Amino acid sequence: MTASADSAASRSKSILPGILVGGAAVVSLILFAVAPDWARQWPAEQIVPLRDWVTRFFQWLANEASFGLFTVKDLTRLVSDILSGPLTITDGLLHKGFSQFGLAALPWITVVLIMGIVGYAIGGGRLGIATTLGFAYLAVFGMWPDAMKTFSLVLVTVPIAALIGLMLGILATRNQLAERVLSALFDVMQATPHLAYLGPIAIFFGFGAVPRLIATAIFAVPPMARCTILGLRTVAPEIIESGLMSGCTPRQLLWRVQLPAAQRTLLVGLNQVIMQTLAMVVIASLIGASGLGHRLLFSLQQLQMGKAIEYGVAIVVIAILLDRISQALIARNPARAPTEAEKAALLRTSVILGILLASSILVAWLVPAFRLLPKDMTFTTAPYWDQSIRWLSRTLFVYLEFFRDDVTTYILVPIRNLFLSLPWLPTCLLVATAGLLIGGWRLAVTAFLLLGFIAAIGFWVPAMMTLYLTSMAVIICVLLGLPIGICAAHRPRFTRFALALCDTLQTFPSFIYLIPVIMLFRVGDLASIIAIIAYAMVPIIRYTHLGLMRVPANTLEAGIACGCTGRQMLLKVELPQAVPEILLGLTQTITMALFMTSITALIGSRDLGQEILKALPAVDTGRGLLAGLSIAAIGITATRLIETWAVRRKRELGLA
Amino acid sequence: MSKPNKISCRNLWKVYGKDAQSFMAVHSNAPSLEDFRREQYVGAVRNVSFEVTTGEILVVMGLSGSGKSTLLRCLARLIDATSGAVCFDGQDITKATPEELIELRRHKMGMVFQNFGLLPHKTVLQNICFPLDVQGISRTRREERGMELAQLVGLAGKENFYPRELSGGQQQRVGIARSLAVEPDVWFLDEPFSALDPLIRRDMQDEFLRLQRALNKTIVFVTHDFEEAVRVADRIAIMKDGALVQLGRPEELVWCPADPYVAEFTRNAPRGKIISVGQIMVPTSAAASEISIRIDQKLDDVAPLVLGSDRSVKVIDHDDRVVGQVERDRLIAVMFSDGARQ
Amino acid sequence: MLSMKMVRLAAIGCVAAFLSGTTAGTANAAIPESSESIKIAMNNWTSQNVLSYITGQLLEKMGYTVEYIPSDSQLQFQALGNGDLDFQVEVWEGSMAEAFAKSLEGGDVVDAGSHTAVTREDWWYPQYVKDVCPGLPDWKALDACAEKFATAETKPKGRFVGPPADWGKHYSERIQALKMNFQEVPVGQAATLWAELQAAYDRKEPIVLFNWTPNFIEAKFPGEFVDFPDPASDAKCKTQPEYCGAPKSGYLKKAAWKGVQEKWPAAFAVMQHINFNNEQIAKAASMVDTDGLSPEEAAAKWISDNPSAWKEWVPAD
Repeated sequence: MTASADSAASRSKSILPGILVGGAAVVSLILFAVAPDWARQWPAEQIVPLRDWVTRFFQWLANEASFGLFTVKDLTRLVSDILSGPLTITDGLLHKGFSQFGLAALPWITVVLIMGIVGYAIGGGRLGIATTLGFAYLAVFGMWPDAMKTFSLVLVTVPIAALIGLMLGILATRNQLAERVLSALFDVMQATPHLAYLGPIAIFFGFGAVPRLIATAIFAVPPMARCTILGLRTVAPEIIESGLMSGCTPRQLLWRVQLPAAQRTLLVGLNQVIMQTLAMVVIASLIGASGLGHRLLFSLQQLQMGKAIEYGVAIVVIAILLDRISQALIARNPARAPTEAEKAALLRTSVILGILLASSILVAWLVPAFRLLPKDMTFTTAPYWDQSIRWLSRTLFVYLEFFRDDVTTYILVPIRNLFLSLPWLPTCLLVATAGLLIGGWRLAVTAFLLLGFIAAIGFWVPAMMTLYLTSMAVIICVLLGLPIGICAAHRPRFTRFALALCDTLQTFPSFIYLIPVIMLFRVGDLASIIAIIAYAMVPIIRYTHLGLMRVPANTLEAGIACGCTGRQMLLKVELPQAVPEILLGLTQTITMALFMTSITALIGSRDLGQEILKALPAVDTGRGLLAGLSIAAIGITATRLIETWAVRRKRELGLA
Repeated sequence: MSKPNKISCRNLWKVYGKDAQSFMAVHSNAPSLEDFRREQYVGAVRNVSFEVTTGEILVVMGLSGSGKSTLLRCLARLIDATSGAVCFDGQDITKATPEELIELRRHKMGMVFQNFGLLPHKTVLQNICFPLDVQGISRTRREERGMELAQLVGLAGKENFYPRELSGGQQQRVGIARSLAVEPDVWFLDEPFSALDPLIRRDMQDEFLRLQRALNKTIVFVTHDFEEAVRVADRIAIMKDGALVQLGRPEELVWCPADPYVAEFTRNAPRGKIISVGQIMVPTSAAASEISIRIDQKLDDVAPLVLGSDRSVKVIDHDDRVVGQVERDRLIAVMFSDGARQ
Repeated sequence: MLSMKMVRLAAIGCVAAFLSGTTAGTANAAIPESSESIKIAMNNWTSQNVLSYITGQLLEKMGYTVEYIPSDSQLQFQALGNGDLDFQVEVWEGSMAEAFAKSLEGGDVVDAGSHTAVTREDWWYPQYVKDVCPGLPDWKALDACAEKFATAETKPKGRFVGPPADWGKHYSERIQALKMNFQEVPVGQAATLWAELQAAYDRKEPIVLFNWTPNFIEAKFPGEFVDFPDPASDAKCKTQPEYCGAPKSGYLKKAAWKGVQEKWPAAFAVMQHINFNNEQIAKAASMVDTDGLSPEEAAAKWISDNPSAWKEWVPAD
């Protein structure tokens, strides 16, 4: 009785959107056909000259704005000076030395030992060996000074960004207004490609390591702040109550109860900060950070692919090692505090290790090769990489050429023309309708305003180009990533491989993909799309895997008990349950694809990424920033739509 | 009773909704159920008043959602009540300043939580000492006290372990020890044994009673388990939909439930353990049986005697005077059927 | 802040003490005029890096402290104006003229003179293309075999792999003006050009792309520039500049922050004197690109090999 009533109700519910969608489609088709010119192309004379305003505003801010006694620039330079303090120390320790005290930098052998010990202390023997070998790799492959420049920056950036993120996160949990403002700000910050920030940062903070630190922090702060908010919110209420009943003052409650109890989530945030910091290594070298990133770009410009790959690998090595260390920190849960005897043993071990380190310095002083490996003792695999990439491009191109030409002529070019001919008003309305159906009026208005903003500031055409490149890439990412994710969830042996692939693709500096892709596919849309895919496929694989792994065991058993075949299990039991996770992966993939357009612009597409790239040299802050914000607008619209749907779906499945 | 009131709770309301204060004001501090429904407010605690005397164990009982945990949190002022007063030794804590409240919690209150509420990053000893730690008591002094407490709750030797390494029962022992660290006068226990499995629950109840015999605290104990309530309570308060339905000794509740809700609760209660002879005897001063039972004995204890005798059994009071008699059939009816009260 | 100051003070003290011990006798007593380090801009191509290190090492010889700061070749002018960078050893007419002129106008950057070396930027092809397309380097010959350069997107037109769109070249206009059967496909960065070149070179495919000299490419890939109507001789170029090729000898200048003149006058004089010709630049670059030295090593080697050249720039003791 009730069941049939329910199903009738749900049927009428499912018909209603159907009608709406149909209606919207018809209306928009008509609109597309009959739209007047002003609704197709935002009239050139009506374009809001926001770009110029922003550019001029930044110039004014940088050069003239003042708070009476000092200018904005004085202030930012003061920040630079303060930040460069800790950097002087790490730089001195790792590669510069302290010439004023006549001290040299730590020899490589000592740093390798220290890292090995840190790895061992936190993650045990295997991690200890891994960190030792990893850092030794940097020395043996002759990248030591550059690697240490990068490492020094990472060492300073990570704690600063983590601390700022922590503070903002705490602020957000304390104050509702702050939370709303910050959360909107973080959305925008995370959806805007890094390159777009560099201009303004260079204006305010000059060139060199400090602006790099700031650029990185801008990007690494949001995940940390988000994790802090999440962590503080998810502390069991009883733990907070027990803190209160223990007589904690509000400050004691925060620092001694809530934050330590949220430790794990905070460490996840820290892990994100580390990864983001290393992801910025290459991009930041555009505004003056020396080290591995600079060398990598330099090698690419010189067509020394092999060297670039080695520098890339070095970045990946540092990233993965730091990642593993922070993961080990998260996973650490000793059964009990050390006893007095163990403490004494620990002290003895530390003394021995201290002596070991001291003697390593002594040895290095006696044998210069331990200070810095002389060039003829290092080796390189660069020529092999160069050879193999060229061999690949020679042998594969014959086959790929047809593929490339056909795909370009028959698929990509027509679709691109379609995208480029999309009129702005009907397109915005169509998206707004989708928003209305999924999430209601607010979502619809948000989507309309975000996309309308792009048209109003005159970026509609490059934005459609971006949309075209990213949608093609995202579609292929889903087509490839979904099966890989499914395989990874079903075949444990494949899991490792897939996850390692994800790690590598994500940490490997995306610049490196560009060159072989160009060699194989020539400058063109296909090359851009393929470079985007390489980077953006990671989240969809990860989340598909995660979503399938999270399907409750009893649901699976129920499926098996009902006599499902493997195929039925997948299609009817597992995938529907994993949909919310997969959708989240999709939003991440979209964001990453949008991000990559600022890098694939280096290949030569004429989209928003190109606008950012062009603005950089001309210090046209408005152009770069607004193009970045337009990318953010597309990304936010897409993710809002999908996330809203995912949340709804999750609630329907009773998983939320 | 002559004992002084330790806690007194007067006309306590906790209302959830848009603007609870003005909702209360509009309905002159006494909104009806109908008002709640109409204006979409939720009355988690509605007009509750009671007293707890020094050294007494008051058990607050009710199904989940009945407001018993909210009531307890209002007493500890973890939640601010919407209106009403809660007095400790005459001091109204609903009006206490944050500083006074912290002082109060640092010296007068202890609380035990259902899911233990232990700090995962601290060892057993550090958890126990935490209330002393936040007061700034020196490490040696607080650890000395911590070791004592660990000993008291039977955790000696586990001091350096982290909570996650302990069983549920052991974790709750830590929670208990921590709540006792500041030697509070008042002890709040929020379903302390509900997360434990039945066998351990029994042990812990015994443990609790043993501790209480030694410490003699004033206790408010929340549970949803009537059997547990009966075991530990001096008096039981039964809550339903935020209101106090009945407050009395276990025997009173069983013998004379205020409404069907209470009756439902007490239906499967072990009557034999709760009801005393005085409740079912027929008063008379001239009973003839040789076998005598005392007026305050529980039915379970006298059942073999009464059932074994073919005649009524006489009841005597503390001064060995005969005050009444109990019939076998009456005993059987009370102990083994539902229609006990007729 | 305070600690920074102290570190700086200490640094100044130590450096001064150190220098007075080591450099007395070799350098003018007044040098360095300021103990702050001179910041030299580093771009991402070889010759610039080697020349920067040569400059830096010469200045160090004189007793200055030098810092090398990587920077984007366009963003650097902002930094030069702010005094975040002090010196740039290669300012190219072709790609930086506009930004440089703008910064000169601003008054915070000064022109530190020209190198003897001249630069040229134009359409360029690797040598083997000549076999496919006889008559090169004349542009008409190139136009005649345009179809051989065609790809799927440009068919039937030939493809010209052009410079990044923001480099201010007007090749599309030139194609129109000369009615060439070509289409420009701009790249996003120089590395993309070289990737295209390498791939085409390995496959011996016809390719025509943007290139310049002096450049490391010359050492790796033999080839030559396409001859377009010469702006020096063709009258039409006066009225219709897009009709013509680039000047065959563009300038290569040096730029400095205006403050350098007062802060380090002797160093500024050296910057003005530094002067390389095409051959020297190509050689310096090939030490890195062909011989595999690092730019620092190449600079040191150049200094020890060519004392006669740099002795003219640096004041004798």
